[in-house]
Amino acid sequence: MTGLVGRPVARVDGRVKVTGAARYPADDPVPGALHGFLVTSEVAKGEVTDIDTSAALAHPGVVAVLTHRDMPRLTVPPFPYLKGFIPMQDTAIHHVGQPVAIVVANTVEQAHEAAALVAVRYRAERPRVVIDDAAGPPHLPPPFRNRPNEIKRGDAAAALARAEVRVEARCSSATRHHNPIEPHATTAQWDGDRLTLHETAQGVNLTKGTIAAVFALPVENVRVVAPYLGGGFGAKGPLWSHTIINAAAARVLRRPIRLVLSRAQMYTMAGHRSEFRQHIRLGATRAGKLTAILDTTTAQLSNTDEAIFNASESARLLYDCPNVHVRQEGVRLDVATSSYMRSPETTAHFGLETALDELSWALDMDPVELRRRNHTEFNQETGQRFGSKHLLKCYDMASQAFGWSQRKRKPGATKDGDEYVGWGMATEMHTFGAMPSNASVTVGVDGKVVLRTATQDIGTGTYTIISQIVADAMGVPLDVIQAHIGDTALPVAGLSAASATIASVSGPVDRAARAARDAVVGLAVADERSPLFGVPADEVETRHGHLIHSRNHQRRDSYRAVVSRAGEPVEATGSGPNLPGLSYGVVFVEVRVHARLGSVRVTRVVTAHDIGRVMNRRTARGQVIGGVTWGIGHALMEHTVYDRNSGRVVNPNLSTYLVPVCADAPPALEALFVDEPDPGSTALGARGFGETPITGVPAAIGNAIYHATGRRVRDLPITQDKLL
Amino acid sequence: MRSFSYASARDSAEAVRLAGRTPGAAFIAGGTDLLNLMKDGVQHHQHLIDVNKLDLARVTESASGLRIGGLARMRQVAEHHAVRARFPVLAEALLASASPQVRNMATMGGNLLQRTRCGYFRDTGSACNKRVPGSGCPALQGWNRGHAVLGGSESCIATHPSDLAVALTALDAAVHVLGPGGARRIPVGEFYRLPGDTPQVETSLRPAELITAVEVPRHPTARRSRYLKLRDRATFEFAVVSVAAALDLRGHFVRDIRLAFGGIATKPWRSAEAEAELRGKNLTVATVEQAGRVLVREAVPRQGNEFKVELVQRALAELLLDLGGLR
Repeated sequence: MTGLVGRPVARVDGRVKVTGAARYPADDPVPGALHGFLVTSEVAKGEVTDIDTSAALAHPGVVAVLTHRDMPRLTVPPFPYLKGFIPMQDTAIHHVGQPVAIVVANTVEQAHEAAALVAVRYRAERPRVVIDDAAGPPHLPPPFRNRPNEIKRGDAAAALARAEVRVEARCSSATRHHNPIEPHATTAQWDGDRLTLHETAQGVNLTKGTIAAVFALPVENVRVVAPYLGGGFGAKGPLWSHTIINAAAARVLRRPIRLVLSRAQMYTMAGHRSEFRQHIRLGATRAGKLTAILDTTTAQLSNTDEAIFNASESARLLYDCPNVHVRQEGVRLDVATSSYMRSPETTAHFGLETALDELSWALDMDPVELRRRNHTEFNQETGQRFGSKHLLKCYDMASQAFGWSQRKRKPGATKDGDEYVGWGMATEMHTFGAMPSNASVTVGVDGKVVLRTATQDIGTGTYTIISQIVADAMGVPLDVIQAHIGDTALPVAGLSAASATIASVSGPVDRAARAARDAVVGLAVADERSPLFGVPADEVETRHGHLIHSRNHQRRDSYRAVVSRAGEPVEATGSGPNLPGLSYGVVFVEVRVHARLGSVRVTRVVTAHDIGRVMNRRTARGQVIGGVTWGIGHALMEHTVYDRNSGRVVNPNLSTYLVPVCADAPPALEALFVDEPDPGSTALGARGFGETPITGVPAAIGNAIYHATGRRVRDLPITQDKLL
Repeated sequence: MRSFSYASARDSAEAVRLAGRTPGAAFIAGGTDLLNLMKDGVQHHQHLIDVNKLDLARVTESASGLRIGGLARMRQVAEHHAVRARFPVLAEALLASASPQVRNMATMGGNLLQRTRCGYFRDTGSACNKRVPGSGCPALQGWNRGHAVLGGSESCIATHPSDLAVALTALDAAVHVLGPGGARRIPVGEFYRLPGDTPQVETSLRPAELITAVEVPRHPTARRSRYLKLRDRATFEFAVVSVAAALDLRGHFVRDIRLAFGGIATKPWRSAEAEAELRGKNLTVATVEQAGRVLVREAVPRQGNEFKVELVQRALAELLLDLGGLR
């Protein structure tokens, strides 16, 4: 064992990324590709009454302009397609930014310029786009993928009425957009009835199945390629309509077409985190034991789908509470379809962890102690004991590192210069997914090891961690390993969403690598030309690319020599079970709030997480840095603005939709890990983690602001004006 | 973005001549705002005249003050020793602007002529009187958190985004231009116009005029000057509220003062009334607060920007009490 798993190994794909050598989906050369650009609806509701494409068609380089009049009839695919309809199949307009035409030209510039020449007339109706403007009261949508939107355990209303202490909070959160730095891109290339998509996809196989359904193709006729991703955050999980429209146009024109969304188009075409309201009530004993949780939420939904992604999972699962009533309601509005955004639970988790903080003040109890008193070792819904849960240890580790015991028990009690200093904390929790996956490992005659699995480079370090696993399993150095991912031509693997990548592929990759090792060892001990000839296979160790007799280290061979003598590559495959689960942690933050100007800085953060085995301390810490920064954006600045009269997004760009910059990231961040392998894990002791370190950050910041100032802000983002 | 032709000018006279004979031409220097506007379809120019080769990038200091070439880059000016030592508000305003990458490219002239960040102006799908005169102003009833409480009209309440212009307004600077009619000098206070019912006209520049220099006069207040910028994230963001102050103090006695404001008005906002409340008086919490009240006396707040009326008064007090050594 070289023991690379768990070590802070630098990213194996770092060099190709920073030198620009990595080819992202829009970089893949496709000979003869034309360029598409979408014309999108200016109005939010109504219908297209006329489209004049003549000026665009007359523009130099334009090959075609397709509208609903020219598009082939297509089948609306089921989940994971979220939109509920395919644009350009009829004249109806459901939201601003809905595609109404695609311009196809020889160059990107020609397509962009001609798109502005397409004259569209609308019959427009007054839209309703924000929850305040909803036509009627919220409704309870039917279960989504068998998950009900109302969950009851015990009798929460009665328990609340009887509770010794009650807390009630109404919270809200603005619409947010994912904003990966790489825009969505798709290139469709048809060969008869076979389709290849170069696609910014978080799930190449999911995209493959969905697009096959749209065109009624046999699934095996589709190939989807996405070797690298420039961020996804959920936005690139589902297949969106621009990919369908582009592929349809390529089929009509019998030419490959590449289409890249503009930044502004990404605010209406590829999902978002819904605007959100939350009414949360907690009942507890004077000793701080939760007796009731009532959590009613309202999400902004579109008129064409009803999936709610701001799930109240933590209200159901995080704390020991016999009486829980979760109700996830929605209102139908004339907006584009929402989707999952890293991490979906964050929105509702804010209400729970804010209300708990309020309860701690009501009880005059330390908020960490309150959470300890409600800790559970049992899954609240199944009653099963967790096989491995070290959340209490997380509280210990992080509170000690933070110096929490020094916290003053009075809001507004600490001032440093012009700023109030406040400390806050929140528990973190995320349910991670796991998708069926497969891998293959090939040892070449040159001794190089090629790993193949159709997972994705979601940004968390996929290439690096799966290479570490192969290195350890085979006893080979990292630099002989080449990982190929993001292509449906590779062994099938699952979606990279729900923090599922590591949980999905680690086991199959490990099994494939061990099988390849065993096969090579088998060749060696059976080969008269090998120094290991005749050695029992279980007495062969593998290290640094060598095969070594464990009882006589002089007898050794190498992968390269063995496979070279065999004359042909050795290949092995791996698959196996994958289990979803939960990852936990806690985040402590220090904020400084300017006494007179209300500006907030997050100056210090300490986290501790229980994520099973830490596969790579460097990339795990990277997820914490990214998650905390993402949480700062969620808490303090990010919000999408709709014009209530027109339904248009008014800030569809990175100049006015503010994401945190480096200077907003905390100058001091300590990321601690329990690092105890989870015996129930199917991923070498690891659990899914990527989204966990966001979940508590907004509430921890809000709680720290309260501690600093005595002001409780329950409406996100907490901009300066709310603290004047 | 529409196709355009491009020419590089060798000197100012040629740049002006080229611009004068091509309707719809625009000068391009750093291009940090112009290219965005063109790509987003907010502005169209058939012809771009590149002025980067012109000899207009020098910063010189004389007995009368600073002369900053129109092509001097933001970073270059911000780092200039004379600017830092004797006109600190200017260096601070520049360093509070944009990002290091943008400051390496963007020029004085371009900075002064950048367009508003109003979301309706930047969205060609929205109505906007500044972009399409007569089409309406959705900001009046819509999203106006970033908009002006002073200097607005029923046609437009968009703020001017430049920090540099606010500092120059406090420094009584002047803009030198060269056009088909020759060279002229425009005091910064006359350079920007209120929107009135012609919000599409933002400056007093005439067609084909090129900003050749900015002149910053030496003045007793300039050395004790400072810029305070409040915004929704730590850097790389426009002002929610900003204050430029230049003070000539003897003890706490205000011999002279200049105050300019950003983020609250449709143009860089100088308040002679607020200055008058302080000039010839002692700087105290009471006089500073009174100056703040006078500043916002004519304010017209709307639903989303009402907080600016309070915030700008606090920002002014913060800056002056700090600058006057009272805090």
